Amino acid sequence: MGDMSELQQREDALQGMGTSLLRKEDARFIRGQGSYVDDVKLPGMLFGALVRSPYAHARIRGIDKSKALASPGVVAVLTADDLKPVNLHWMPTLGGDVQAVLADKKVCFQLQEVAMVLANDRYAAADGAALVEVDYEELPAIVDPKKAMDADAPTIREDIAEKKDVGHGPRVHPNHIFTWEAGDQAAADSAFENAPITVREEILNPRVHPCPLETCGCVASFNKTTGYLTVYMTTQAPHLVRTVLAMLSGIAESKIRVVGGDIGGGFGNKVPVYPGYVVAIVASIVTGVPVKWIESRIDNISTTGFARDYHGVGELAADADGRIKGLRFTALADHGAFNSHVSASKFPAGLFSICTGSYAIPNAYCRVDAVYTNKAPGGVAYRCSLRVTEAVYLIERMIDVLAQKLGIDKAEIRRRNFVAKEQFPYTTSMGWTLDSGDYAPALEKVLQAVDYEGLRREQAEKRARGELMGIGISTFTEIVGAGPTKTCDILGIGLFDSCEIRVHPTGGVIARLGTMSQGQGHATTYAQIIATELGLPASDIVVEEGDTDKAPYGAGTWGSRSTPVSGAATAKAARKIKDKAKQIAAHLLEVGEGDLEWEVDRFRVKGNPEATKTMKEICMASHTGNIPDGMEQGLNAVAYYDPPNLTFPFGAYVCVVDIDKHTGEVKVRRFYALDDCGTRINPMIIEGQIHGGLTEAFAVAMGQQVPFDENGNHLGNSLMDYFLPTAVETPRWETDHTVTPSPHHPLGAKGVAESPHVGGIPCISNAVIDAFAHLGVTHMDMPHTAYRVWQQCHALGIDGH
Amino acid sequence: MKVQLEKSFALGGPAAAAWTLLQDLEAVAACMPGARITERVDDRHVKGTVTVKLGPASLAFRGEVEVKDVDAAARSLFLVGRGTDTTGTSGAAMDLRAHIEEAGTTACRLVGAAEVSVSGKAATFGGRLMSAVADQVLQQFAANFAEKLRSLPVQAPDEPAARPAEAAPAEPAPNPPPAAKRELNGLALLWAMFRAWLHDLFPARRA
Repeated sequence: MGDMSELQQREDALQGMGTSLLRKEDARFIRGQGSYVDDVKLPGMLFGALVRSPYAHARIRGIDKSKALASPGVVAVLTADDLKPVNLHWMPTLGGDVQAVLADKKVCFQLQEVAMVLANDRYAAADGAALVEVDYEELPAIVDPKKAMDADAPTIREDIAEKKDVGHGPRVHPNHIFTWEAGDQAAADSAFENAPITVREEILNPRVHPCPLETCGCVASFNKTTGYLTVYMTTQAPHLVRTVLAMLSGIAESKIRVVGGDIGGGFGNKVPVYPGYVVAIVASIVTGVPVKWIESRIDNISTTGFARDYHGVGELAADADGRIKGLRFTALADHGAFNSHVSASKFPAGLFSICTGSYAIPNAYCRVDAVYTNKAPGGVAYRCSLRVTEAVYLIERMIDVLAQKLGIDKAEIRRRNFVAKEQFPYTTSMGWTLDSGDYAPALEKVLQAVDYEGLRREQAEKRARGELMGIGISTFTEIVGAGPTKTCDILGIGLFDSCEIRVHPTGGVIARLGTMSQGQGHATTYAQIIATELGLPASDIVVEEGDTDKAPYGAGTWGSRSTPVSGAATAKAARKIKDKAKQIAAHLLEVGEGDLEWEVDRFRVKGNPEATKTMKEICMASHTGNIPDGMEQGLNAVAYYDPPNLTFPFGAYVCVVDIDKHTGEVKVRRFYALDDCGTRINPMIIEGQIHGGLTEAFAVAMGQQVPFDENGNHLGNSLMDYFLPTAVETPRWETDHTVTPSPHHPLGAKGVAESPHVGGIPCISNAVIDAFAHLGVTHMDMPHTAYRVWQQCHALGIDGH
Repeated sequence: MKVQLEKSFALGGPAAAAWTLLQDLEAVAACMPGARITERVDDRHVKGTVTVKLGPASLAFRGEVEVKDVDAAARSLFLVGRGTDTTGTSGAAMDLRAHIEEAGTTACRLVGAAEVSVSGKAATFGGRLMSAVADQVLQQFAANFAEKLRSLPVQAPDEPAARPAEAAPAEPAPNPPPAAKRELNGLALLWAMFRAWLHDLFPARRA
């Protein structure tokens, strides 16, 4: 055995798992050398500008293109009537519905796509779009989802008014999409009947938007001679999109190439297929020249994948000691005018039934009713694995409400209800099997770090002086890494993922994956996995994603699935290569495979420390004739990974706020976040992800919302109104961790990017509401802007006005 | 985005003359800052444009106005207007009921109630300013209207009201009032709003 310092040196040289290797991709990004879709410029390219509806609900009586066509530089104007002959005026959605590509006789939400003007440059296209005259007859709009199923509610979707089912079971009203339930209603009801204590609260997760820095867009290029279609686009799931495009266009999937390029943030906003992409593609097929379409900021916030809009009701039943006996959560989900949100086929309400959280709740039931309204479609987005934020927000709020009712400390009530370490793997009353967890030590570590008892004493003193201070706790469990193909699919395609690794003779490696980085640092993280598995330096490992002509098939990056699914595929592919390398090493060292052991970057003969073959030597040998009889040359492998279960990262967060009762201003004084994502691959990247997620949690809790007036007009779709926190507003984040590896993941890793968002939002809300708890307040809806918090102060008569 | 407006303005002139003037859509439009009638479709329908300029942003609405009801006995008028801005990103609609109230032989009042709704970008960006903007627009309108009424040839107060079709104001006023600008001046509007806001803030000091 080599001496320890030499081993350590070899280990350090790899920069593998556990090292805070600087992100390999940043050298390009910080020099302005990223290549985003708007950087793509092809010869002869036309620009498309969309004409959008000013009304939320209106019939289209006619469209006059003549003035637009006469405008200089305008080449064509496309409307639904022009897409009809190719049968592309409507398209199927990933939610089982259909969506108008360009409005067909009526518009159902404000800024819906009505026509596309194609012109020689972007300015001519915009000028042309302003000259398209659309004759609208305004119709009454449904903005409040609670009125969507009224008997006299106008029918939003006349195209499916008669359909009894839009993919997820029977409909009871023309504006009803589906009703979905999980758990055991009878058992939950009986728990409530027999419980000494019950609490109930109406809790809103308002409509918000992820607002990535880069808006959506594409460049579509159809070559009429070869019949090949290339689409450069902002997408988190290039392979799924290619399949959808093949289904839509009838072009063979082998002749379609989707290229992701660099993506400036996704957060779920870039999973769906939007009408703009489809029109640009049709336009390129028709004209035979490339067509570019890029959204404006207002278009992005107004029309593409929003998040939440869940009007929830939470109920808990408990005994007098605060031990939860029953849970009933319902939600009215506003999906907008089309059910185009992305979810696994069998889970129309996503993973909402994870709403029992970190707690052992014996009887639980949940139901989600989804309705159409005259708003933009979407719902599943924003750093959150398919409705997990909504579920976690409900349970983390409700457990506080219960604690308040019983007069039990908010940390103590969590201790009393945690799933205990020895209960894992733990199957919840909703049917999920939590793979692993160790909740109590995580909470205790955080409480100690912030001196929780001291904070409560300080709060009591401040309350006595009439000051407002709040302490929020969140002990959440996430569900990520969708998912096992036996339960999770989109359009019938299982949500597995893939990795292909090619090792070159000198030990350089290229790995290609089915996922798609949008800033997560995949090029670094995956390289580190391979470095540790194969004993080759991460610096020589290149990671490629997003080009469907190069990468193997995968479902993409969303729902924190890259590390849980593709990270596992990467390990599997590397291990296939390592197995072959071992055979070659045994052959070269003339021993049996059983006589070899692995040491950082080489195989070593047991009991003979001098007899070794380094991985680099094996790489070269695998390209020669000196390999075992019958073995093929090369060191390549492809692995597809179908996870046996999802993974369940968890965390314990504490937030301390001070509130000015005269102005309602909330100041986050301290935020301490402990995350457990199992095995940690790159601690620096994990910390960066947590900072980002917490900042987005802060944004949602403190200021973001997409409001509408009674006619369905957007009231806040530009960055003048929509809150995007900068370094000025953002609190300082303190991070910590514990490590509870996933037992079923090859590396024990669980995924982390969404945890801080999902767990952070209720933590901040809990802190704000805790500041008012002694005054009898049990809930306040987000966002906790100064004005809204002041209104609460004013209602309590403590604002001094 | 909807606002309800109820306004009453004192006019220096006989009620009959004011009523006659009120029925002359071209003349009324000329009093409205930024409004212009481009086409008379028939007795009850006109097409026109309204331009509002606020700093660098200019919204030009084109649309139709329909005279829904004219009640000569009550000297009241019901107009419905509807339009979209020329870039197609905003829509606007207005229901207006206006009538003339007698206040002695040489004075009267113009009383109006309107519901204005806007959609699209006008609502998104202008919604929160709408009440204040509409207020100022109507103030300017009333001033222009009163000015126009004063410049009309004086009629005997007890003379029966002329029928609209043969109304005297068909001939244009000799000197169009200087205040009847073709476009609502954004800076002046902001100043007026600022003054009104100050007044709300410090009513006591001005008392």
